[in-house]
Amino acid sequence: MRVALLLACVAAPLAGQSVRIRLENRVPAAAIPIIDSLVQVAGREGLPTEPLVGKALEGGAKHVVPALIVRAVETRLDQLRDARALLVRGGDAPPATPAEIATVSGALRRGLPPPVVERVVGALPSEPRESALHAIADLVAHRLDADSSATLVIAAIHAGLRGGRLLDVSHAVLEEQQRGRTWAESFVRVRDELPDVPAAPKPGEGTVQRARRPSSVSKAPTPL
Amino acid sequence: MDVREGPSDAEVVARVLGGDREAFGLIVRRYESGLLRFATRVLGSRDAAADAVAESLVRAYRHLASCRDPTRLRTWLYRIVANRCKSHLARRATGDVSLDDVPPIADPADNEAALERVEQLAVVEQALATLSPEKREAFVLKHVEGMSYQEMAAVTGERIPTLKMRVHRAREALLKALEERS
Amino acid sequence: MNPIDPRIHQVLDGEIPREALPQDLRRVVERLESAAALLAAAPEGRSVAERVLARLRRPARSPVRRLAQWLTAPHPVTLRIRPVWSLALAATLVLLMLLPEERSVPVLGEHEGIAQFVARFPGAHSVQVVGSFNDWRTGTIPLEDRDGDGVWRAVVVLPAGAHEYMFVVDDERWVPDYSANRFVEDDFGRENSVLIVRPVKG
Repeated sequence: MRVALLLACVAAPLAGQSVRIRLENRVPAAAIPIIDSLVQVAGREGLPTEPLVGKALEGGAKHVVPALIVRAVETRLDQLRDARALLVRGGDAPPATPAEIATVSGALRRGLPPPVVERVVGALPSEPRESALHAIADLVAHRLDADSSATLVIAAIHAGLRGGRLLDVSHAVLEEQQRGRTWAESFVRVRDELPDVPAAPKPGEGTVQRARRPSSVSKAPTPL
Repeated sequence: MDVREGPSDAEVVARVLGGDREAFGLIVRRYESGLLRFATRVLGSRDAAADAVAESLVRAYRHLASCRDPTRLRTWLYRIVANRCKSHLARRATGDVSLDDVPPIADPADNEAALERVEQLAVVEQALATLSPEKREAFVLKHVEGMSYQEMAAVTGERIPTLKMRVHRAREALLKALEERS
Repeated sequence: MNPIDPRIHQVLDGEIPREALPQDLRRVVERLESAAALLAAAPEGRSVAERVLARLRRPARSPVRRLAQWLTAPHPVTLRIRPVWSLALAATLVLLMLLPEERSVPVLGEHEGIAQFVARFPGAHSVQVVGSFNDWRTGTIPLEDRDGDGVWRAVVVLPAGAHEYMFVVDDERWVPDYSANRFVEDDFGRENSVLIVRPVKG
């Protein structure tokens, strides 16, 4: 733990180090200047920059041509702007936090309709929305109606559930469906169980590795 | 499209629910060809498609009472098969479509036109295999099974704009893959 | 993605007539229609009717046989334990097990959780997971197939929250985790899997 703290202290000042150093030898050289400038623009607009750097590194790792990497980073920047606009419309006082902007952007990318995201933003005015949005997106990914899914998750919020417990709600619906119930029956059963929805199984034990971000910037943990 | 002969789907469903188990054979024979074709194109394997369709039809029999509108039996059956194909792909854990066991549609021994057709089909199948499962499913439902977007929405549970986008992107990706291979 | 003229989509969606297209675009439409026609030719395949009906005709298993099969078949067991017990267990494991350095159990931070990756790649020589949590860098999180059954696993401590990732098989094949059931477009023509890591605490 002390070693981790020490590394974090060293990492913090390096976090401000240029994006170019992170991208060098990972992303085609031709794309780096443009990506760097896009990241600067995002920073000036108060948008999170890590999603943009991450997208560029992803493109480099997947051996994508420079033009497509740049286009993907531009697309992410637009998505972050859309996410912030949605947060403000949903009632968040500006400036919306970078973590919430990234969260909402992620939910929109998973296919949640903007009105549904706005409902969740409104239901959790001053709390992290990541779990709620992913719980709804999990149900939508299984072809459930987004509005109905949002209604159930918001009911769970009103019943006092937060964080990972909201993911338990969607897991419980899927479990009910696996048992042969229709989606409507599954929704009703889980809603009637609130707030005592069973917890989803935790990941198993085994040789545990720690993911290491080789770059000097560590991602700020997002409280669920 | 399947040719409707004999009793309507609603009549057959009513008979099965009334206890006539053998009547379900009418439904199986009426729809298995299309369902097998759909599953084969999504999974890229004739054997896997046969498994998926057989499992789906058994499940359909057991849950026939939950088919709310027997006049829309076809889309209901396709929905079960589509979900089963998704499970097969997830168990396969690669998402890659293997084409090795999809046979040619004609014996290429003598007929030059047939041979050319076999080769063209192989190119198209390889191109189809490059699509993601969702785009592959959307393209096959639209252009192979000839469904309307409304029917596709009933099968997949997706919204029509989402399906249109998938079909459009599938067309673009397929064209690109065909160009690379020709 | 290579966008094509939107009129091609409109023709194929039945929104405008084919005659509205210039000749070069009509050829594109025809190319797609030919490809679809080839796919629509039903592959030779045996009927599944008899197989299905045989399953339906099979007599129901007797309660005794059902019980015997239930007793002998493996079942997943869900344990509901409090997170503080998980930490206590992890700490106990550290104390009790004399593990070599590289196999020691990390101590989890407040905003960290455990992610388990499992994937089936029979015949693969190496499988690793690459994602937003390791800057998409290969060579940092390998999966293991200890018993050679083609099932590869890794258990990793990650920051709590959402992460995108893929598997890289034999250092060359990038594959989403289709068992994850969460996907997003990666904007490069493929899909990433999405993992939600819950903090061990709270």
